Amino acid sequence: MGQCANPNNMQVSRILFNSRLKGLFVIAAIVAGVIALRLADIQVIRHKDYQQMAESNRTQVLYQTAPRGRVFTSDGIEVASNSPSFSFYYLGVGNKEPEYLKKLAADVAPYMNMATEDVFQKLQKGVQTGKAIAIADNLSTQSTVALKELQFYYPGVYLVEETKRNYPHGIFASHLIGYIGQMDEREWRRRDTNMGYRLSSKIGKNGIEKKFEKELKGRDGGIYLEVDYRGRVRSLIQDKKWGAGSDVYLTLNYKVQQAAEEGLKNSKTGRGAAVALDPRNGAVLALASAPAYDPNIFVAYSDDKKAQAQKKKIKEYNLAIQGTYPPASTFKIITGAAALEEGNIDVNRKINCTGKYDAGSRIFKCWGTHGPVDFFDGMSNSCDVYFYAVASQIGPAPIERVERKFMFGRQTGIDLPGEKAGNLYGPTRRARNKTYWFIGDTLNLSIGQGELLVTPIKLAQFAAAVASRGNVYRPYYIDKIVSNQTGKTEEIGKTEILQHADLKESTYDTLFAALKHTVDDGTARRVKIKGLDVYAKTGTAQNPHGEDHGWLMAFAGKEGEEPSIALAVFVEFGEGGSSAAGPIARDMLEAYFGIEKQKPVVAVPPQTPPATVATVAQVPQSQPAESGGEENL
Amino acid sequence: MTVFKNLAAKGRSRVDYLLLGAMIGLVVLGAVCIMSAVNSLSLSNPIVRTHLLALPIGVCAFVAGWSFNYQIYDEQWKYLYGFILALLIGVLVFGSYQRGSRSWFVLPFFSMQPSEICRVCTLLVAAACLDRRGRRIRETSSLILLGLLLAPIFGLIMMQPDFSSVVVTFPAILVLLYCTGINVFYLALIGIFAGVAGFFTIAWTYIYLHPELLDYTAVRLFNDLAHNGWYMGVFALAVALLGYGTWWFFKQLRIFMPSMYFLLATGVVLAGLFGGIFVEHQMKPHQRKRVETFLAPKSDPRGAGYNVLQAQIAMGAGGIWGKGLFSGTQSRLGFVPEKHTDFILAVVGEELGWWGTCLVLGLYLIILWRIMIIGYMSSDRYGYLVCAGIFGMFFTYMLVNFGMLVGIVPVAGIPLPFISYGGSNLVASFWALGVIQSVYAQRLRI
Repeated sequence: MGQCANPNNMQVSRILFNSRLKGLFVIAAIVAGVIALRLADIQVIRHKDYQQMAESNRTQVLYQTAPRGRVFTSDGIEVASNSPSFSFYYLGVGNKEPEYLKKLAADVAPYMNMATEDVFQKLQKGVQTGKAIAIADNLSTQSTVALKELQFYYPGVYLVEETKRNYPHGIFASHLIGYIGQMDEREWRRRDTNMGYRLSSKIGKNGIEKKFEKELKGRDGGIYLEVDYRGRVRSLIQDKKWGAGSDVYLTLNYKVQQAAEEGLKNSKTGRGAAVALDPRNGAVLALASAPAYDPNIFVAYSDDKKAQAQKKKIKEYNLAIQGTYPPASTFKIITGAAALEEGNIDVNRKINCTGKYDAGSRIFKCWGTHGPVDFFDGMSNSCDVYFYAVASQIGPAPIERVERKFMFGRQTGIDLPGEKAGNLYGPTRRARNKTYWFIGDTLNLSIGQGELLVTPIKLAQFAAAVASRGNVYRPYYIDKIVSNQTGKTEEIGKTEILQHADLKESTYDTLFAALKHTVDDGTARRVKIKGLDVYAKTGTAQNPHGEDHGWLMAFAGKEGEEPSIALAVFVEFGEGGSSAAGPIARDMLEAYFGIEKQKPVVAVPPQTPPATVATVAQVPQSQPAESGGEENL
Repeated sequence: MTVFKNLAAKGRSRVDYLLLGAMIGLVVLGAVCIMSAVNSLSLSNPIVRTHLLALPIGVCAFVAGWSFNYQIYDEQWKYLYGFILALLIGVLVFGSYQRGSRSWFVLPFFSMQPSEICRVCTLLVAAACLDRRGRRIRETSSLILLGLLLAPIFGLIMMQPDFSSVVVTFPAILVLLYCTGINVFYLALIGIFAGVAGFFTIAWTYIYLHPELLDYTAVRLFNDLAHNGWYMGVFALAVALLGYGTWWFFKQLRIFMPSMYFLLATGVVLAGLFGGIFVEHQMKPHQRKRVETFLAPKSDPRGAGYNVLQAQIAMGAGGIWGKGLFSGTQSRLGFVPEKHTDFILAVVGEELGWWGTCLVLGLYLIILWRIMIIGYMSSDRYGYLVCAGIFGMFFTYMLVNFGMLVGIVPVAGIPLPFISYGGSNLVASFWALGVIQSVYAQRLRI
């Protein structure tokens, strides 16, 4: 444009119509091009981002928590469910005349236990702010039927249905089921972002609730409102219904679990554990631990701090899988099996029990004086001297070998966090620790004292293994998960044999006979039940710090059939195995086989075959004997 | 040039249909988008009603501008000049005080903003003034004369105050000056003046909005320059000495440059400084906020930058094809501010999409193109100058309004003619294009 530098030599038209305007138009075209590119950047390239921003600008969501999946026992009892919780909202849309609002207030107030005036004031506040407000929370189910109908007469009000977790049976299997609570910071950071969690969402904190959080959660619903730039509601976009979470079915037998919990609660100290397994597949029929807690307390507290305070108070310690104790006399089954298997002992050979056993350097005592006892009497009376003698004869190594066959000192492998393995005891283990093995250790081992430690569930697994003639199962407690949305069933529980304890059939036969003898005429007479073949062994674990612990392990089946339940009951500081654990075990067996309590003496259950009538006479005999309450080691 | 002349010789039409078509296209698009923006199809909505009433008045203004020979403005420029002054003084006396400025006549049935019509008149008067200078246009006196002529107009507008009006008129005058063939050195001086004034204004505003910077001594001294007379004196003296020193330096090097240049440069820098000081003292908080928004648009999404952000969200949400008319949520739910006036493009962008905004941009480019072509077809120099001035005006509107939305220009309350709601602006814009059509109609009369 510098061509106008010397105008005097230019043509007149060049002065009048210079090309500067053309140049400016070129600049304008370039500017328009730049603007068009910027527009393309905003409207085409970053369209998705802006669209999302516009969408979140205009929508407000009243979320509705989906019902969590329910938890059922194998016999169909709902042990974790949801109770509906209703809130009544005014959305600030539709007719806003005071007359109309007054009529609305008068109509809905009675169903919310509120004064008409209060409701009216809340409605007016909603009109003034133009925002969606909750008129009432926690409405009762009865009133919601009427309110549900009213919301069709009065557009602008809305009944929001939410659900709250509810554990109808309180402490029932609470150690297994767990509880829910608000997410803490770490959980929020690690959440699965595809699951639609909100800051107020509650998640499983323990047990099944935590383990199957993904399945149980379900899909939250919500009322999507269109709001303007001041948050005033303009319209209802969508009412998205929630999708319920999947239901979890446990292998637990409600009655057995109930009997176990009741029994433990009413036991001498109220502390202990009871585990029942199905010896045919390893399914957990009952897993009770006392003291327990009521998971419902966590539902009530939305505030995380209060929930934390509550959490400190409760007993999350699951004694059934985390408590380790000496198995005491129940271990005599192992010693006996080792003797039968490797010692070639004569089961009918009698050993005289004088109440004590001279081990040379030290005298070992028996808990009583039993006189001459053979293998069966030794087992049924839990005679220590008999087993001292047998152990001295066969040595400790076979005992440890059988111990290992039944996987003592190893976790049972149940899918629960924090399971303890217990402790294996024997000369090999001792050698590994580079210390010596004494004869006294052999004697201690033979009666299940000393360094040997087991958990209640381990003992239940052992009982099931004996009952199934050698199958050491991995216990499982989840049967299946049924989706409420697709109706699909996912089988979770599967039988898994960890190891087979390959003892001779004759060994098992002898053990069965001895354990049956223990029930019929021995220390475990408390679990003798008419119509059933019950095999049991009691134990009393010496506790230098206080009262002794009581053990009872048993398995049973209908008369003439193979055992269908194996259990272990443990009462901490319960003193006697029979006296403390016996009644609980008996209740559990009765519950499992559906035998009514206290009645077998009088009435013969119709399903019982006539052949058993002969045994009826025996029952009264055994009943008074129970009251004896022996102390058996 | 010959191409344009041939084109003009061939056609004997008195109307440039391309320009007319582009204008009608914008008006129709604008009317629809205003209706959509105020979220009402009913004709009784006050905004829609006013706009639909302003349309026929605008059409009348267009026809009037077109049918009058534009050379009348050249001949009767003194009356036109008097008319401008009368309107501007009138609004200061009788105008109503709204939103911190006195720039509206409120009459029983309608309101009008005289600065809109004055803007077009000012361009016509300035073009007349420059046309009369003829070959002496390159002399300094022409510039000084124009400055003296326009000073009262700008002074009166600043007294309202209406910065936005200056934002459009001033660049248009610059375009006009450039196209008259003025020495580029003077334009550079004006540029320096605007640059210096703008620099001081923006810098002081920035300090005002970030008081923590005053901890630095240099920043504090700089800030005091705006308020302390002694500092101003020292600064002025320093600039003068610098100017003299440079002149002396060149003289020693035997490079001879007119001393006038250095004198003017010094004077312009000082004028810029005092202009900046004047603006600094006049600026209102919301105007400071606008500068802030330009400096850091994302810093405060709820504050000043919020408007631009929401407008961009609206446009971005529209995508390529838009959400369809009357279904933009951003504008309908009030997230976009001033959606029917300055930010109407956001509505276009949200509801019609990228092709909608590009259509508006394209129509504007067609209008600019036709104004340029008509300028070169003009039968006399005055017609060319009128076209240049109005070209500058529409170019500024386009640049500022689009630029504000895409974030390359600070937010200034500038409407988009024919699209935005605003009767005075609509009528003035119609009239301006009417005058252009008149230049076209008179092209054959030499």
